[in-house]
Amino acid sequence: MTRVTDDIIIRAVARVMIPFIQLYALYVIMHGHHSPGGGFQGGVILGASFILYLLTHGLEEAKIRMSEIKAGLFSSFGVLIYSGIGLLCLILGSNYLDYGKLSTILKVVPAQARSLGILGVEIGVGITVMAVMFSVFFDISTGGELPEDEE
Amino acid sequence: MDSFFLWLGMGLFTLVLLCLYRGVFGPGVLNRIAGICAIGTKTLVILLLMGFIYNRVEMFIDISLVYALLNFIGTITVAKYLEMKGEV
Repeated sequence: MTRVTDDIIIRAVARVMIPFIQLYALYVIMHGHHSPGGGFQGGVILGASFILYLLTHGLEEAKIRMSEIKAGLFSSFGVLIYSGIGLLCLILGSNYLDYGKLSTILKVVPAQARSLGILGVEIGVGITVMAVMFSVFFDISTGGELPEDEE
Repeated sequence: MDSFFLWLGMGLFTLVLLCLYRGVFGPGVLNRIAGICAIGTKTLVILLLMGFIYNRVEMFIDISLVYALLNFIGTITVAKYLEMKGEV
């Protein structure tokens, strides 16, 4: 599953489509509170773009863009953003993930602070879901055996 | 106009059932893949028609875009899996 394909059509189509897929994924993450979507769905689309890259360009080229170690780091980083925003609200004296209190450090009105807080949480969730999707596909397609240069 | 979209959707739904027959009972793997891909494209159009019926096409167009995208990636994945296994 991770070999390079020699089909020029598939590679060219994937190279054209991947930037638009990622742009659409960012739109779904950012626009999550006005239209269907949100962190999880946008993360799935973003992960699908990386999976498409891995399928069409092979394992070696895909590891330059997103390796297993980077995927692990990204998945923890997204959870860090999520829980960090929650703990920041807790430190500022309100409940966990109660974004209204963020207005004191963001210097905006509480309604705007709620919107920005949920946006930050969505971004964290999106990063985590993207990395975990890619990591699951990576592990399944390589049979769980990491290549020799990454222990 | 709504009843027109409704009848169009029902017609597409019958075609989906025909494709589903090909996907379940079709001889060989390639017939099944073709049937499932055809179901994907028809579902996309049905989603857009639902958006026109409910007057919320800007919401359904997002869903149908994602559906088309995942259909494309799924087809490529299955095709590549079959290419590797070599059992067509």
